[in-house]
Amino acid sequence: MKLTYVLTALGLAIATPLPALAATINAVMYKNPQCSCCEAYAAYLEENGFKVDIKPVNNLSEISSDAGVPADLEGCHTIMVDGYVVDGLVPVEIVKKLLTERPAITGITLAGMPAGAPGMGGEKTETWTVYAFTKDGKAPTVYATE
Amino acid sequence: MSASLPPARASAVDERRIKVAPGEARFSGEDGPPTAAWTYNGTIPGPALRLRQGQPVRITVENGLNEDTTVHWHGIRLPNAMDGVPGLTQPPIKPGESFVYEFTPPDAGTFWYHPHADSLVQLGRGLAGPLIVEEAEPAAFDRDLFWLLQDWRLTKDGQIAGGFGNMMDASMSGRVGNLVTINGTVPADLGVRAGERLRLRLANASLARMMALRFEGHRPVVLAIDGQPCDPHEPEDGRLVLAPAMRIDIVLDMRGDPGSRHAVIDDFYDGLAYTLTNLAYDKAFPFRSHPLDAPLALPRNPLPEPALANAVRQEVVLQGGMMGGGKLASVGGMMGMGMPGMNGGAAWAINGMSMTGDGHAGMAPQFTLERGATCHLTIRNETAWWHPMHIHGFSLSVLSRNSATVPHRQWQDTVLLAPKDVIECAFVADNPGNWMLHCHVADHQMAGLMTVFRAT
Repeated sequence: MKLTYVLTALGLAIATPLPALAATINAVMYKNPQCSCCEAYAAYLEENGFKVDIKPVNNLSEISSDAGVPADLEGCHTIMVDGYVVDGLVPVEIVKKLLTERPAITGITLAGMPAGAPGMGGEKTETWTVYAFTKDGKAPTVYATE
Repeated sequence: MSASLPPARASAVDERRIKVAPGEARFSGEDGPPTAAWTYNGTIPGPALRLRQGQPVRITVENGLNEDTTVHWHGIRLPNAMDGVPGLTQPPIKPGESFVYEFTPPDAGTFWYHPHADSLVQLGRGLAGPLIVEEAEPAAFDRDLFWLLQDWRLTKDGQIAGGFGNMMDASMSGRVGNLVTINGTVPADLGVRAGERLRLRLANASLARMMALRFEGHRPVVLAIDGQPCDPHEPEDGRLVLAPAMRIDIVLDMRGDPGSRHAVIDDFYDGLAYTLTNLAYDKAFPFRSHPLDAPLALPRNPLPEPALANAVRQEVVLQGGMMGGGKLASVGGMMGMGMPGMNGGAAWAINGMSMTGDGHAGMAPQFTLERGATCHLTIRNETAWWHPMHIHGFSLSVLSRNSATVPHRQWQDTVLLAPKDVIECAFVADNPGNWMLHCHVADHQMAGLMTVFRAT
């Protein structure tokens, strides 16, 4: 599965010139110290041009809530990257779309741990909905689907 | 038979009173800022109950909270009706009401007491206390110390954070906090004298925080686990792994130099090690020139020996949680459908069934054991998470872990399973009633990692 994602990301990089993203993108990941899929996700990001500083924490639910992630849309880790919050196992193309488009939102999240998502095992069995959220109390909106 | 017994004389029964009520914790000492908490007799932790082995006790618990409560005397083998599980063994103690617990502790050792109603919130707001059953003959130690370890999740202004039972905690490692206290305060150094021998009773009263304690420059020897003496031994790598609800009694011979200082480190979580406290040696001349050579082993408790040849086999399989592989498809949560435990649903199951909450009427036993039968119990952790599994009413003789024999003749009421661990253990069903078996990570218990079995 991981290989599929790497190839997809390469394809995307070749197809769409993104000069702003040519340099390494620094990200900080807050994760549960006992969750292994987050580390696999960090490795996946690193294969795709990111440098991920992994910080194991025991208060992830607080960090994600302070970061504005809606309680019913939490992913399994929270990443701070280039002024945005990326929560959960969001495919890298969608992360890069966020960093390129730079919409006026706080961040995006893929809730839970869907099978087949980067970092997870298994086969993708459903459409994933990545939500955009803000800190102003407005309802989350759909940012992307995959 | 009981009708012919004369009534017990008042002096024969040890009488105690505990009032449960809102109060304050002072984590940084008496002069520090207060934190609103729930208390037994106004203190955090509750008062240390020192009982005598074989001596009846009567404890009146009065509920001054605005919600139901009960008290579970964790690890004590007592009559089912005194076990403190609401709905299952007693009606809950309603606000303003009292319940009288009466039992005679058969085992000497280190235990603790805590609520079994609204467990996650009541434990998380501070309700826990040490319970010591003294040996008939006092053992040879210079000092006997109790460390009741509690883990608090505090907000930036030092109050207990809300958000109990959120789905991330429920389906991952539980509500681990950000402040660890020993006996209710952030630990200062422990003053010690060179040459003295300490008995240290460790009890982890946290909701979810696992601990692995190392005493730098010292070699602790384990004397008892969960109140039950074992063959004295040094723990693997010198680390004392203490999951929620577990107790370990150690002996510490103070072999450091006068004036020296040694850290006590908890390094259970990768990348999150911290110094819990320090052993600070007095500068004075050693208390004694040679360590005591008194024997270390504590007298064994009168536990019934399992008859393995004729044992009834039962298996308990732990399922669910994040990265749970979709095992909870039929019971409300699974990988691939968002977060297990969403909307208050079950995140965990035992043998495919999720019993959630604290205990309630009508919980059907998973299995039934004939009185006096030996049960050979397999506990299989199919999840990706750690679970301290607690059995009520019995102690388990721990036989093996992942097929390797467990040495030192260990008996435990709370057995920690790492992800994918398989534990074999045995006990004699000599205590009739419907008994709980559940994970003592409070979030996991509330979200379905609980079952009930029956001894006839």
